[in-house]
Amino acid sequence: MEVIYGLLPGMLILGVVGVVVFIWAVKTGQYDDLDGAGHRVLLDDEDEAEQNNEQEKLK
Amino acid sequence: MSATCYHCGLDLQAESTFSAVIGNSEKSFCCHGCQTVCQTIYDAGLASFYQKAPETQILTPPAEDFEYSDTSFYDLEEIQADYVNQQGEFNQIELLVENIHCAACVWLIEKSLNAQEGLEEAHVNFTTKRLKVAWRPKDLKLSKIFKLLQQIGYQATPFDSDEAEQQEIATHRQLVYRMAFAGFAMMNMLWVSIALYTGADQGEFKMWFYWISFIIATPTFLYAGYPFIKQGLGGLVRRQLTMDLPIAIGATVTYAYSTYVLLAPSSTGHIYFDTVVNFLFVILVGRYFEAAAKRKALSETHRLMTLQPKLATRIEAGESQVISIKTVKEGDIVLVKPGDSIPVDGKVISGESAVDESMLTGESIPIVKTVGEHVIAGSINTEGALKVQVEHILNQTALAKMLLLMAQAQQDKAPIQALADKVVPWFVLATISLAIVTFLIWYRIDVEKALLAATSVLIITCPCALGLATPMSMAIATGVAAKNGVILKSGMALQQLARVNHMIFDKTGTITQGKLSLCYSEPSEGDTAERLLQIAASLESYSEHPIAIVREAKKKNLSLQVITHFQNVPGKGVSADIGQQHYYIGTQNYLEEIGVELAPKWLEMLQKCEQEAISTIFIVEDNVVSGMMGFRDKLRPDASLTIDTQRNEGLFVEVLSGDKKAVVKAMMKRLGGLNYQAELLPEDKVRFIKARQQQEKVIAMIGDGINDAAALTQADVGIAMSSGVGMAVEGADIVLPQNKLASLLVVKHLAEKTDKVIKQNLMLSLSYNIIMVPLAMMAMINPLVAAVTMPISSLFVIANASRIQTNKKASR
Repeated sequence: MEVIYGLLPGMLILGVVGVVVFIWAVKTGQYDDLDGAGHRVLLDDEDEAEQNNEQEKLK
Repeated sequence: MSATCYHCGLDLQAESTFSAVIGNSEKSFCCHGCQTVCQTIYDAGLASFYQKAPETQILTPPAEDFEYSDTSFYDLEEIQADYVNQQGEFNQIELLVENIHCAACVWLIEKSLNAQEGLEEAHVNFTTKRLKVAWRPKDLKLSKIFKLLQQIGYQATPFDSDEAEQQEIATHRQLVYRMAFAGFAMMNMLWVSIALYTGADQGEFKMWFYWISFIIATPTFLYAGYPFIKQGLGGLVRRQLTMDLPIAIGATVTYAYSTYVLLAPSSTGHIYFDTVVNFLFVILVGRYFEAAAKRKALSETHRLMTLQPKLATRIEAGESQVISIKTVKEGDIVLVKPGDSIPVDGKVISGESAVDESMLTGESIPIVKTVGEHVIAGSINTEGALKVQVEHILNQTALAKMLLLMAQAQQDKAPIQALADKVVPWFVLATISLAIVTFLIWYRIDVEKALLAATSVLIITCPCALGLATPMSMAIATGVAAKNGVILKSGMALQQLARVNHMIFDKTGTITQGKLSLCYSEPSEGDTAERLLQIAASLESYSEHPIAIVREAKKKNLSLQVITHFQNVPGKGVSADIGQQHYYIGTQNYLEEIGVELAPKWLEMLQKCEQEAISTIFIVEDNVVSGMMGFRDKLRPDASLTIDTQRNEGLFVEVLSGDKKAVVKAMMKRLGGLNYQAELLPEDKVRFIKARQQQEKVIAMIGDGINDAAALTQADVGIAMSSGVGMAVEGADIVLPQNKLASLLVVKHLAEKTDKVIKQNLMLSLSYNIIMVPLAMMAMINPLVAAVTMPISSLFVIANASRIQTNKKASR
């Protein structure tokens, strides 16, 4: 059970790393636009069908 | 559902529809602007925008004459100096884009801008509706960026974030950090706690676990608990008991006691570091929700403030120069172009024009201003260029005074707020007294027990559930409202709205659309309506603001004729030649002026029109009246539904208007004979509402325009229609989306629902306190159990609050 003498500090260090990462994320503005980011993932690609349409139009 | 505009999704009015073949199929539009924007979007290969935009989303139609508006002044260095950041070879600017509605708008803006040569990066923040652009000034002009945005249907304003807002953001971030830190600490602490509960507090690792707890709890207590301790002590110094005080005392006592147990070698007690951490985290989460709702409202207000005219064209030694409004001085001469809003209060020294003061006075028809007359800041110059000598600027203007009036009305409202502030200290006092009493009772028996019981009392009565009951419901209600496009500026408003039993509507722009449209056209015998329209449109297209006629003609695909000798008499009419014929178009007054007599037949019709709230113009061909046209400010399509539903629900509905009595009367008849008051000044409206309030009525005022601002504030709940005129919304507690009066019904129901849930929540947390406080005083509960049940009671409250959301869906 002596392993917990190492485990607990390890846990704490990981916790601190987590906090640091989070603060970094906030500082770089990653939490500024919670609504936009979620949608942006879904919208980034141009619709295949629509592109075909456009090409047909050009022909 | 009737057909809707392909671009903006507004219902199409049968008599004014544009259609064109764009892409592969014919599409219908509500206006020429929408058509042009759609064409641009298709040309840029971004047509899938229309698939991406949610179907129910109503976009803002583009400004009618956006193709002609001039953006070149944005290239002036003086203007840029206020807003643009230089970073190496790039320039950066933050723009406020008013009409971003959905994620598809974000996509469209970013796609089309990023495709532009010389543009480094365009990034939209959807939450704050701000667009950050970085570009290479060598290759791209700023004005071009504005132009591009206009072409795809968005209006941008340079954004100048002020210090107050920066501060707000900083505080908010601090709160997020503290919450995050407490969150991480709590997660780690829970492992230790689990170990301790399951028996580690007996074995050889006891001290090790205790020390780890201490290491986690100390920074959490000092960092996450800092605001509570500071506020609590600060309150004490000012001799005020704040909500933070019991929290601070609870946390400090628990922490101090645990530290004592840890350090005193003889002690047999338990440590409660986990209590401190959990408890701080839960409370910070509550604070975060509150702050988020508040911040949203605040950014909304800041957004509106930036819509005030910020630029002026100063004329000095014959040269005109666009400058920031801050540098304009009294006595300067500024040029106001047609279509611009007037940036200052002043006297006209040359030029003549009709000025739209509707947002200040409620008068729906533009007023003619000639040399020597006064114009007011915030009104819109509709016809000709004016040179204005500056008399008042910034906070000296009538506009600013109107805002002051509003601020005063806001202060009158304060007593309600003060009530809440009055209750809190007593609650805190009761909590602390109970804790002290508990301590004294148990002190004689056992010091540790006394300390624990007292702490339990503090933690249990810690108004967490009580504190969350309202803000949590409000936060959720705000979210539901936002989904419907409704902005709630304060939670209070929603509570008030639930009690409202008397609705007062403004007329122009609220129950009507506030836009004139052609509704009536009567050619003389032997003539056709088409020819009449063609002539009228040809002439009107030359005036600086082509009104409804031109739109109408374009829709019917009538070609405009070449005209010569065009003359504009602002506010009255125009005259010009087409071929050999000479034409006049204008009001009855104009005809009298040029000496054309109206036949009895026309006079009769004129009278009939006026009774129906239709304003008229006549077309005169070679001194003979050849026809007449009528314009009407249409009722909003959902006005009568909204008003009928409210009356059926037992609300009393009234209409106040600054407009002419005959017009209002005719309008009210169509809405089923509503009570009304006409020809009211802003002060009259306020007085009227005050009088009604004295009859113990709870009043909601629904209006738009600056002229309603004071009335909106005076009413128990001020509700404004969102419109281009952003300032107007300042006095309102609730802002309805553009063109959707019916969302008023949604908000009203939401308010009632929320009110019910809040009451339930208060009951919940109260019964929790009634059960738990005596138990805690009897020392039946140790602080740990208290700290566990407290979040549970909070969870109950949160779960109950989230019912606002689910029920809303069911009722749709």
